[in-house]
Amino acid sequence: MYSKELIDLFKGLGINIGDAVRVSGSGDVQEGILMPRADVGDSDVIVIKRKDGYNIGIRFNKESRIERVSPGHPGNFLFPKLDTGTNKSLKPIAMLYTGGTIGSKVDYVSGGVYMLTKPEELLSEVPELQDIANIDISNLMSIASEDMTYVEWQKIAEKAADALNKGANGIVITHGTDTMHYTSAALSFMLKGLNAPVVLTGAQRSSDRGSSDAFMNLICSAYAASRSDIAEVGVCMHSASSDSTDSFIRGTKVRKMHTSRRDAFRPVNNLPICEIDIKGNIRYLSEYKKVSEEKKKVELVSGFEPKVALIKAYPNSDPEVIDYYLGKGYKGIVLEGTGLGHVPSSPSIRELSWISHVKSAVDFGMVVGATSQCIYGRVNESVYRNLRLLHGAGAIYCEDMLPEVAYVKLGFLLGNYGADKAKRMLNANIAGEITERTELDFAME
Amino acid sequence: MHDSEYYRKIGFKCGLEIHQRLSTKGKLFCSCCTDSAGDSVIAKISRRQRAVAGELGAIDRSTSFESSRGREFVYNIFKRSSCLVEIDEEPPHHINMSAVESALRLASGFGANVPYEIEPMRKEVVDGSDPSAFQRSMMVGYDGRIVVNGKQIPITSIFLEEESSGIESASEGSVVYNVDRLGIPLIEIDTDPSIATPSEAKNVALEIGRIIRLTGKREGDAVSSEVQRGIGTIRQDVNVSIAGGTRVEIKGLQEIDTVDRIIENEVERQLKLIAIKKELLSNGAEVCKPKDLTKALRRTEAKIVKDALSKGGIVAGARLAKFSGYLGMNINPERRLGSELSDYAKMGGVGGMMHSDEDLSGYGMGKEDIERIWHELDMENGDAFILIAAEKGVCKKAMEFALGRASMALSEVPPETRAVADSKKGTTRFMRPLPGGSRMYPETDTEPVTVDREFYNRIKESTVYMDERAATIRKGLPNAQLADQLVASQRLQLYEYITSKVKGINMAVAVILLEKVKEIERSGITVNTDPQIMLEIFRIYKEGRITKAGIGEIIRELPKGVKDIGVIINKKSLSRISGDQLKRIITNTGGKSREDVMREIMSKYRLIVDGDELKRILGF
Repeated sequence: MYSKELIDLFKGLGINIGDAVRVSGSGDVQEGILMPRADVGDSDVIVIKRKDGYNIGIRFNKESRIERVSPGHPGNFLFPKLDTGTNKSLKPIAMLYTGGTIGSKVDYVSGGVYMLTKPEELLSEVPELQDIANIDISNLMSIASEDMTYVEWQKIAEKAADALNKGANGIVITHGTDTMHYTSAALSFMLKGLNAPVVLTGAQRSSDRGSSDAFMNLICSAYAASRSDIAEVGVCMHSASSDSTDSFIRGTKVRKMHTSRRDAFRPVNNLPICEIDIKGNIRYLSEYKKVSEEKKKVELVSGFEPKVALIKAYPNSDPEVIDYYLGKGYKGIVLEGTGLGHVPSSPSIRELSWISHVKSAVDFGMVVGATSQCIYGRVNESVYRNLRLLHGAGAIYCEDMLPEVAYVKLGFLLGNYGADKAKRMLNANIAGEITERTELDFAME
Repeated sequence: MHDSEYYRKIGFKCGLEIHQRLSTKGKLFCSCCTDSAGDSVIAKISRRQRAVAGELGAIDRSTSFESSRGREFVYNIFKRSSCLVEIDEEPPHHINMSAVESALRLASGFGANVPYEIEPMRKEVVDGSDPSAFQRSMMVGYDGRIVVNGKQIPITSIFLEEESSGIESASEGSVVYNVDRLGIPLIEIDTDPSIATPSEAKNVALEIGRIIRLTGKREGDAVSSEVQRGIGTIRQDVNVSIAGGTRVEIKGLQEIDTVDRIIENEVERQLKLIAIKKELLSNGAEVCKPKDLTKALRRTEAKIVKDALSKGGIVAGARLAKFSGYLGMNINPERRLGSELSDYAKMGGVGGMMHSDEDLSGYGMGKEDIERIWHELDMENGDAFILIAAEKGVCKKAMEFALGRASMALSEVPPETRAVADSKKGTTRFMRPLPGGSRMYPETDTEPVTVDREFYNRIKESTVYMDERAATIRKGLPNAQLADQLVASQRLQLYEYITSKVKGINMAVAVILLEKVKEIERSGITVNTDPQIMLEIFRIYKEGRITKAGIGEIIRELPKGVKDIGVIINKKSLSRISGDQLKRIITNTGGKSREDVMREIMSKYRLIVDGDELKRILGF
């Protein structure tokens, strides 16, 4: 943003952002297009785009003058109108746009990237899509995934169920990547009796760069939603740093494992269901629930109890955090313990033991689940004495479930079925979140 | 060679862009190593890129062209000289401020204005040379000037930007790049198009190179240069146009000696293209639609066609009405209009193209084949045709590009970016359409850099400018010719370093670095001029322990692996004989003339006796 003085000056001179201007002062004259200013840096610095395309910042002071040379003309965005949704020989799929990097463009206001409000703009850059499926695009919301709440999960689940029950062959949901694996878990639980592919996808590089992973992810996701026989929710993102294939990973077994790489999403304690290339070849890699012949409607079970917390236990951690949540009326806690599912149980500083706090929370009716911050592997309630102590205090060991998935699941169970049923169901498999066997090739990477 | 009046008459305009790598420790936006010697490839990745709309919305003509080629890019990834930043898997780190300082210092060397705020930009490139599909670039100076032979040449702009990847190999549909050099900071110096003749262009390039090399930072008694030295670290692009022609950019000239020749040829090329256009238009020339000739040529013996067909491909041809004779017309040494069309076809992914102004029997094409082509394409006298055989999609694309170029022959000299085809002949070939302005947009992953006056003044105060630096050299060396050579030399910095540490041996250092080293290099030895080792050698020399000739011997020995100078001296018996020891040798030669003694001793003890000392003792 420009300073108030500059904004007033522009206004007084009838200068708008985008106009061609001449800025002079201290013996130097610069002509170019007046650009918006990012929120960072000195707000008295005027940014102009020169004829050669370069922007420079000119410090505006008392000797400076600015005048308008000619009015600006709106950018001629040559977006070809994409012909989606008209080829009736292709399978119908619904595309739900929710925001995130995949729909991001340069933003002059924040200096970062902003999210498109018109998903059509994004799709117009991927003309391949019109030959893959008959796509019905809905602009559901435009938010960054770190800002998502269970309310958005419910909205997405509702819209997906609606589209499927109206005949869509599958769903593609474009989503910010940070919490995509939370949403995929929530949808896995909320879409009961799912009989179609529901594909979440996004991008680690914004689509305003030619190297964006958005294009390939959209294409592979459209293939997964229209041509696979997978009746599950999953995340479809790059398998590797190369643009070779995308992996479709079960929605309850996927986690973002890297801050910035395009192959950040990895299966945990699981294999990808399949890999898809840009030509639509699908290579299945593991067991999955297949679409059944009988046309079942999907049932929406979208209750969610927001008073559930995910807490990490670590050396010196204060167990009173449990009392805090109890006092605030929380109904469930998922512990992210160490190793096989430990919390500090018999420490030399006795008040740092979590056991009595867990026990009193359970006694007050809270549901407490135990998972591991190791991410990979399965928790165990009996190998060590301390594990048995936590188990004895009433914590439910969540097998090989990811902490984040256990968190979403507990909110889902408490929101729909109440505490008693939640206790019974927390460590029982509903949507692929728990596997009975861990195979050696469920590799760590 | 023509005179300046000739170039004025034809509306000659020429500007230069000089690119020079800076000698910073890290890269511009990460800390990777900028010297990849000895580094190894640890992985390969493959990517695809596409054109996206720039800041003002339009998709630039050069980027959409590249994108339509749909090639796959493979990147070789290195251990020390690349990280996630180069391969677009991590946002850029903070800008390397020492690169910014170097760039500003050089900008001040050209008398340029510097912006108060430097705005990093993304310049879209989809030839794959950058895995992010853009190059980070920023303007650090504008409106500078240099003087060449009394004429002022404006320096319109100075940029700090990232070096691109080096190309390893290119084949149909795929290009392999090395990312080790990607992201090394480089400075680009642009002149305005007021250069009047090709030879002036060469002189301007030389002068810019000199300023870049000689503008340095004062560090105690020594001056450190801001730029890397050696092959590939400096490149010049030239922009050339003439009246009735167009601006053409020729990229990546590494040898300055060829600059004038290449420009002369470009002028010639544009003049010929304009002449051809006139004649084609007055003949009623026309570009016709391509036709699938697979059926007609299914029995041909032409190898290129046979190979393509056996792989399931097609052969397509197109009639170019009234083009006969023009495709084969020379427009540059060994370059014809047909070569231009063929360059475009190659961009579609084929190895080349055939045309009717060539001797088609050389391809194995029979008389019957040609008759069939004539029949299928409804050819008439005075017509030409082109022929492309390849996989169907590739063939169609190549044909489209080639015919696009044929149509341009009727309307314009196409604005192009060209590359050197043959540096000896000074010829160029088409690379891609000339980019416009719409491929620039702001780099939002990093913040602008404020150059307040205090910061800039500090940089200027620590700068040694070209004239001052050259004057210092001249003052320290009695031999003016040697001083000039040194100023122009790659080893100037090394000279300054050594002479700042070891006083009173300027001549010896200059002679060794300029003449001896060159002589040794001519014998095929790659000389190791590590500053520390060189400094030690000259220290030992100053102490009188070796002779000048001995230095040469040590330099010769260095590449063999022994780094300890003392060891080399012992091994090669290079310890200098002087004083009483030398006098004893002279006494032993008794009775001969001074000249004979001199000759005898020097032939026997050349490497260990100092000629000057011997002369002194002998009383010359």
